[in-house]
Amino acid sequence: MSGAAPGPAGMSGARPPEPATGDVPHPTNGLDDTVHQRHRLGVLTITAEARRADFGYLRDALGLTPGNLSRHLTVLEEAGLVQVEKGYEGRRPRTWVRITRAGRAALATELSALSELVRRHGPGSGDPGEPA
Amino acid sequence: MSDEEQDERGGIPREPAGSPEPQAVLSELAVLRRRTRSARHAYWGPLVLFGLLSCAAAPLYDSAPPMPRGITVYTATAAAPTILGGSGFNSSPYLGWYWLFALIGGFLLTMFWYRWHGRRAGVQTAARGFLVTGIVLTVAALLVPLLSPLFPPLGWLWLGPGDLWVRGTFAFLIIVAGLWVLAWAERSRALAITAVVYTAAALLASLYNVENILFRLGWNSGPGDMPLTVLPGVLLPAAVLLIAGAAAGRAAFVARRRVQPA
Repeated sequence: MSGAAPGPAGMSGARPPEPATGDVPHPTNGLDDTVHQRHRLGVLTITAEARRADFGYLRDALGLTPGNLSRHLTVLEEAGLVQVEKGYEGRRPRTWVRITRAGRAALATELSALSELVRRHGPGSGDPGEPA
Repeated sequence: MSDEEQDERGGIPREPAGSPEPQAVLSELAVLRRRTRSARHAYWGPLVLFGLLSCAAAPLYDSAPPMPRGITVYTATAAAPTILGGSGFNSSPYLGWYWLFALIGGFLLTMFWYRWHGRRAGVQTAARGFLVTGIVLTVAALLVPLLSPLFPPLGWLWLGPGDLWVRGTFAFLIIVAGLWVLAWAERSRALAITAVVYTAAALLASLYNVENILFRLGWNSGPGDMPLTVLPGVLLPAAVLLIAGAAAGRAAFVARRRVQPA
């Protein structure tokens, strides 16, 4: 990911330059492809809010099929962002998902990047958006 | 675009900066966080439990044996959990033992409650800090007076702040510490407010004779009612827990019914 995003360079020269942003990396640099995917971001958000979350809870909360959720969990687990604990309660298999320290850090970075994007380009920022 | 296609490309394609997408994603995540927090909250259980345990202790606060005539010598018995039982001047000699077992049992029951609730709701709260805080403080309240003859500096630790335990209300302060840890674990503003109010009530009951407030408000206790005058100090903190617990329990019940399909 290049991190280059359309910005004021594409705008007309009449717009005053943004102060002191030349050396500051664009917030999209903080977006991680593994984390940025909507559902994976949802998994990290839910697991960061709890000690651990049940597979069924994640599936229902995110509106995913079990197969899709499994694939997302595999991606997150391989990246070291969550731990998947499989076990039994009585005779019933049960899978719990726990966020790791790296997962919390990645989520915080992602949320910070998104907030910065909103701050720079969201409503009320003075940025008229993409040129037509 | 399907999830699989998204995965192959390493995530959803980036919207150009300036699109409303980041704001929408942040709003969506805020909703997810709020729902998860609401599903996870179970603090009404320990509030009601410790409120009931406090009410159950009330009879022990006014069941002192009749005061003998003449000179009375009070001796601190090393075997009794002194800090939890208070000075024993007005209260039952069993008060300290009651609180020792009630606190340890209450903290353990709370742990089981959170485990049960977490299994049922599908999201668990990290409530171990509540258990550890409560048990450590309870055991310390038991051991510090016992060990102080061996390690004299420990005497300052519990005799110095004697006003905090002399009325037999130190258990309330242990519950206070647990509530603050639980409010942090639950990330609950309502529980934090409850902890503030309960802290005020527990400190008031520990440092002041609460019945004096009622006397000023016009409560005239007869000679036979004198033992009852210690009860406001016990029942005030208990009432805070019970009222907050009932309100939180009702809110949890309403939230669960709203989520469940009709």
